[in-house]
Amino acid sequence: MALLQTNSISFGYSHGTPFEITALDHVSFSVDKGETVAVIGHTGSGKSTLMQMLNGLLKPESGAVLMEDRDIHADKQQTRQIRFRVGLCFQYPEYQLFEETCFKDISFGPKNMGLSEEEIRQRVLQAAKIVGLPEELLEKSPFDLSGGQKRRCAIAGVMAMQPEVLILDEPTAGLDPRGRDAVFAMIRSYQRQTNAAVVIVTHSMEDAAQFADRIVVMSHGRLVLDGTADEIFSSAEELMNMGLNVPASTRLVNELRSLGYDLPRNVYTAQAAAEEIASCLRRSRP
Amino acid sequence: MIRDITIGQYFPGNSYLHKLDPRAKIVITFIYIVALFLCKNFFSLLLLLTVSVAAVLISRISFRVILKGMKMILLIILFTAVLQVFYNDKGTVLWQPFPRWDFVITDSGVFSAIFLSVRIVALILFSSLLTYTTSPTMLTDAIERLLSPLKHLHVNVHALSMMMTIALRFIPTLIEELNIIISAQKARGADLDSGSLTKRAKALIPIFVPLFVSAFRRAYELAFAMECRCYNGDNGRTRMKVMKLCLRDYLGLLASIALTAAVIVTSYLDLGSLFLFESVI
Ligand SMILES: Nc1ncnc2c1ncn2[C@@H]1O[C@H](COP(=O)(O)OP(=O)(O)O)[C@@H](O)[C@H]1O
Ligand SMILES: [Mg+2]
Repeated sequence: MALLQTNSISFGYSHGTPFEITALDHVSFSVDKGETVAVIGHTGSGKSTLMQMLNGLLKPESGAVLMEDRDIHADKQQTRQIRFRVGLCFQYPEYQLFEETCFKDISFGPKNMGLSEEEIRQRVLQAAKIVGLPEELLEKSPFDLSGGQKRRCAIAGVMAMQPEVLILDEPTAGLDPRGRDAVFAMIRSYQRQTNAAVVIVTHSMEDAAQFADRIVVMSHGRLVLDGTADEIFSSAEELMNMGLNVPASTRLVNELRSLGYDLPRNVYTAQAAAEEIASCLRRSRP
Repeated sequence: MIRDITIGQYFPGNSYLHKLDPRAKIVITFIYIVALFLCKNFFSLLLLLTVSVAAVLISRISFRVILKGMKMILLIILFTAVLQVFYNDKGTVLWQPFPRWDFVITDSGVFSAIFLSVRIVALILFSSLLTYTTSPTMLTDAIERLLSPLKHLHVNVHALSMMMTIALRFIPTLIEELNIIISAQKARGADLDSGSLTKRAKALIPIFVPLFVSAFRRAYELAFAMECRCYNGDNGRTRMKVMKLCLRDYLGLLASIALTAAVIVTSYLDLGSLFLFESVI
């Protein structure tokens, strides 16, 4: 039994207008407890729509979304509770900050859950710690923070609900490499503390390969590939046809191998590529 | 719900109405509205409604889209019509639902309610075609040209039309953004549609604060981008697309004037018993 899954769901926007579009076309996706799944695909492939299905914000036109084998749309009251169990952090979440202080903003979710003051306080502090937001910033207005700090504050707002499934829609969009590493570190840290499942939407193949147990590829509203990094990147051709790239380091190593160098197939990160190439050179030296 | 409001939206196309000069379209719409208010009997109203429907057919925009956009307004029209029926107590009584109260439904009331509703429907059908078939930039450009005589009165027509262009341009963007913010706050458990009135009003804060912040941010960025391109109003500005009236525009204008004439003739000249319905308003 998967923790959260979609059963062949379909969905379209703007029915009955010239802008009608099928955003999801019979998508079956699942995520298990403690697992990390990366969702990749070009812009407009339906990633964000799928994420909004997972926490019940959108309702599929056909098919069903199941949490622990129960349809999340079975009854209305329950659908709202699902949002606390499946935490969704939208793209550019810093634009959704609204409170006077960071503390209040992070506590918006837990407050809506109806927790006690003390529990809320604890959760906010814990979430702030995970995202690396210093305590003295918590009493400041979120609008006075730097871009990176705003993003941290917004992510903390979702983590404070302590969802069993944490979904992040392109959480590293617009961040520099250091900011990106920081975001991944936060998610890892959250996962270690709660054993939550994590679904992360990303454009970066490197990040997906490095970070996720499993990679899912979307194209034109369909889920086209689903497997480990090894399985996904072995079909490099297919990915290219969908306008996606294999990681640059994988491409480099593949080129070298076609030139006759003895290098392995499953290299996805710059780090690993450097090590493999170094050891290959060492081996070929007399 | 808010996504379904299509009034003001532009549907690109290639029909006669799309090709019509936007200035001509504005003038024609204006003439049509005047005709609609001059019309006094069912015959001329029917004529005007037919023209509206024909215009929709010519535009090749599906009725489904237009009706969907009008849904909310139809509700309001229905409400107005019901009020009109009860408000008007002239004419012969058709039905007195509560004999104790002097609260009657008369033939004149029913007629005027129908008349009013049809008139508003025709008005909305026709005038919404203006924005459906004209891109916002063309529309404001045309308004700027039409108002250009006011320049002599030291009205800054260019600034006005630029403001309008920008406002129109950003309505869909802001609606999209509003939808995202609503979804994002719902994802954090915001409860927007239950509870007391004050609770609901309070629930709007997490929606509107980010919306305003983002609107100001966009305004600032846009102003900056415009300055970077040396925008300084219409001083020495020339146009990329010069509008020119051609035959079809004159034909359209002529048709609308003919329509008005027909409405005036049927409404005001005494043509005896040619028409079944007498003036009801
Ligand atoms: N609110 C909306 N209204 C209309 N169309 C939408 C809306 N949201 C997304 N779409 C369309 O649905 C498709 C999938 O979008 P999305 O799920 O956001 O893709 P992704 O996140 O992969 O870029 C796109 O073609 C997009 O234009
Ligand atoms: Mg997206």
